[in-house]
Amino acid sequence: MSTHPHYSYEGIEVSEDLDEFLKRMRRVERRIREYIEEGIRKTLEDIREEYYSINTLLNPSWSCEGHLRPLYTIKDVGNAYVIYIDLPKADLNTIDVRFKDNLMIIRARLTEEFTISRWSGRGGEVRFCEYREVINLPIKVDPNKVKVITKGDRIQVIINKE
Amino acid sequence: MSVHREEILGDFKLVEYVPFKLTRPSYGVVALPDAGLVGVIAAWHIIKALGLKEVGGIDSYSYLPPAIVVSNKELRMPVRIFAGDDILLIYCEFTLPIHGMAQLSRILLTYFERKGVEYLLLMSGLPIQNRFEVERLRSYYVATSSRASELVKGVEVLPFENGYLVGPYALLIKDAMSFRLDTLMLLTESFLEFPDPEASARNLELLSKVINKPIDVKELLEQAELIRIRARDTMKDVVRNLAQMKKGFEYSPPLQL
Repeated sequence: MSTHPHYSYEGIEVSEDLDEFLKRMRRVERRIREYIEEGIRKTLEDIREEYYSINTLLNPSWSCEGHLRPLYTIKDVGNAYVIYIDLPKADLNTIDVRFKDNLMIIRARLTEEFTISRWSGRGGEVRFCEYREVINLPIKVDPNKVKVITKGDRIQVIINKE
Repeated sequence: MSVHREEILGDFKLVEYVPFKLTRPSYGVVALPDAGLVGVIAAWHIIKALGLKEVGGIDSYSYLPPAIVVSNKELRMPVRIFAGDDILLIYCEFTLPIHGMAQLSRILLTYFERKGVEYLLLMSGLPIQNRFEVERLRSYYVATSSRASELVKGVEVLPFENGYLVGPYALLIKDAMSFRLDTLMLLTESFLEFPDPEASARNLELLSKVINKPIDVKELLEQAELIRIRARDTMKDVVRNLAQMKKGFEYSPPLQL
């Protein structure tokens, strides 16, 4: 009869040495898994970062043709999507919001043309005259279910989901 | 760019272009991109209104983009240092990653300590969900000591009693407590994702009473629309960084209420 103490691993009786070995293997396995997970997480982060950087580089917020892209956010409030759009210096009578499938198309002329004076380079020579933006929405829009509220030079667009 | 003194602090380089001293009581102001760019917009107005001079700069090859600021044909570092008689102001439009911000925070506080700054004044926006509807903005304050609280005696501002503060200013306040630097933070309700000069103006009106110096915000409000247009790119970048810092926590009530 063996004098070595007996341990159980997944219902199978094993010796102490083998049990210790299996424990070490499990620790190594866990460390490898954590290392791989950390590597994947870091890689995904780097990809996201690069995507954002390229996106920013290739989608400037202004154009030499004189139009600006407004800031906007899309919020999901449960039963609706609410889009806020910031349109400083916009002529409120010229704000035009249209929908096509899942796109929201915004245009608005400025109250007056302006240049960003003292800004060196071509940008400082551009006479900005209007806002233009096309926003990708998470759903296809029925214009009848849309409410547009203007408050000063900011717009709130409420799109009901139902 | 003339250099009077240069110092390497961790991963940052601090440069002073000219020697300067502060009179007492002296205030340190830090402007970093945060909700609504409220602090940054306010700081730039302070620089103009009080005629602060640019006296130095801070740079980092590890944590700041490879960028240089060109201002009135002068080459300047991304983090800019301005000073007046009794104010030392740090101004930065670039967002730093959290690790960089943590290091910069300690460097700034060490610098303030060395320059004899007695009070640290911070201003930022407190994002609210219904900012679109709100006309009358509320303002709050956070103070790290009773001495700092004394600064707002007689000023129409509410104490920020319960909630979370997240972002670069939260780091500064935490470090200011370790440094035992009396710190006052003014928070005015603002947009998170849109530049909010109106909130900046409200903070400046309060600051004016705190430091007992007239700061006229009329020009700031007149220029508000232009500021909002010019700040769009910076704002987009800031929102992304704030999301990484979990700024959304500020919308949550603390569990221990």
